[in-house]
Amino acid sequence: MAEEGQVISCHTVEAWEEQLQKGNESKKLMVIDFTASWCGPCRFIAPFLSELAKKLPHVTFLKVDVDELKSVAADWAVEAMPTFMFVKEGNIVDKVVGAKKDELQQTVTKHMAAA
Amino acid sequence: MAVSGFEGFEKRLELHFFGDDPVRDNNMGLRLLEFESLDEVLHAVQCTVVSALGNQYLDAYVLSESSLFVYPTKIIIKTCGTTQLLKSIRPLVRLANLMGFDLVGCKYTRGSFIFPLSQPFPHTSFKEEVIYIENCLPACLAYRKASIMLSKLSPSHAWHVFTASDHDDHRLSALDCLSSSSYTVEVCMTELDRTLANKIFRRPGDGKSGDAAGREMTEITGIGGINPNALICDFAFDPCGYSMNGMHGDKYSTIHVTPEEGYSYASFECVGSMYNREDDVVEVLKKVAQVFRPGAMSVAISCRSSIPRDVWTRVTNGLETLGLTCRSCTMDYFPAAGTIVFQTFTSRGK
Repeated sequence: MAEEGQVISCHTVEAWEEQLQKGNESKKLMVIDFTASWCGPCRFIAPFLSELAKKLPHVTFLKVDVDELKSVAADWAVEAMPTFMFVKEGNIVDKVVGAKKDELQQTVTKHMAAA
Repeated sequence: MAVSGFEGFEKRLELHFFGDDPVRDNNMGLRLLEFESLDEVLHAVQCTVVSALGNQYLDAYVLSESSLFVYPTKIIIKTCGTTQLLKSIRPLVRLANLMGFDLVGCKYTRGSFIFPLSQPFPHTSFKEEVIYIENCLPACLAYRKASIMLSKLSPSHAWHVFTASDHDDHRLSALDCLSSSSYTVEVCMTELDRTLANKIFRRPGDGKSGDAAGREMTEITGIGGINPNALICDFAFDPCGYSMNGMHGDKYSTIHVTPEEGYSYASFECVGSMYNREDDVVEVLKKVAQVFRPGAMSVAISCRSSIPRDVWTRVTNGLETLGLTCRSCTMDYFPAAGTIVFQTFTSRGK
């Protein structure tokens, strides 16, 4: 599939809901990166996130810009960026606040393994 | 004191900029600097980004040797060890110029190095540092002052300050008046309590990431309780050492710890507003002193507007209740920085 191995950007609420739905049905782990174009820390970790996405095609990586999707960011109570939300079968199973490479990697590994 | 070891005392640089079109770029200003460009500057200073966090007001980076804060028109960079911090001035000013921002203020501060002979040029002496900085500054920063604020502690626990501004602060601009009540407090502590210091060592084979180990240290040391409302980015270095940046609205705080006996050191820095009851500098300082229980502590408070006398008398009285005796208190006025009050304390128990 074309989307595997990449970070998928959601630019509209419809696209976002579609991706969430798809993720919940597939039972895959979803990692959602809440980001902002003016946030340096988000730019710092972007390459690392892309690498992770490439290496882990069984995990779905989504990207949400907090300015584009203000309501979604508010619903998910995002206060600082980047915030990574971990979702599995419709439930938030974990969260990483901040551009922290090791913690991000470890958290993905932790939830990816628990099938 | 050890013959040589890691230098915990930081060098701190604060650069203020003014853009001719502040509304452009959503008021994000310097936050829009390419990360690759920032990384290059940090490389020149010999440090790298370990972790980072941003909110609507600022970006905060935990570095391999301390911290970097980027606001739309202000950059604060603080580095320890033998980093050559001043090498960041020229490239940062150039990058800002490319974005339409001019340097209008500069502030450089540091305490006294534990291992001064280990410092590279120009940090070999304050005089050399001042000459170096002056050569990097545009001529329009015409109001300049360099001073060493002394204490009665020996060897020396002095506070070195150099500031430069493009205007005489007695004429605060309209923009400045809004922020003139904001203060910055820089605390340096040595001879840390050994029980606390031992918590800043990684346990071999704990299987934790530096981020996770950092979070644990924040909790077990009580550092997390200093400002419980702040969003914290913490990191534990291997085999020892700790850094954290806290973020609460437009205010940051930062703590760095070098735990080794013989040259133990911890710094605490935060910003607040003189007239905001929640930002009680005395309460914060007491919490910091209670966490680290240092043998010696220096406190430098700087504020664009004047610092009321009762602030430093309350600091003295507050720390006195924790067994810290005030040894010196000096005040001076600097362009760009405003008033700086520098106090030193020693613990009666040591």
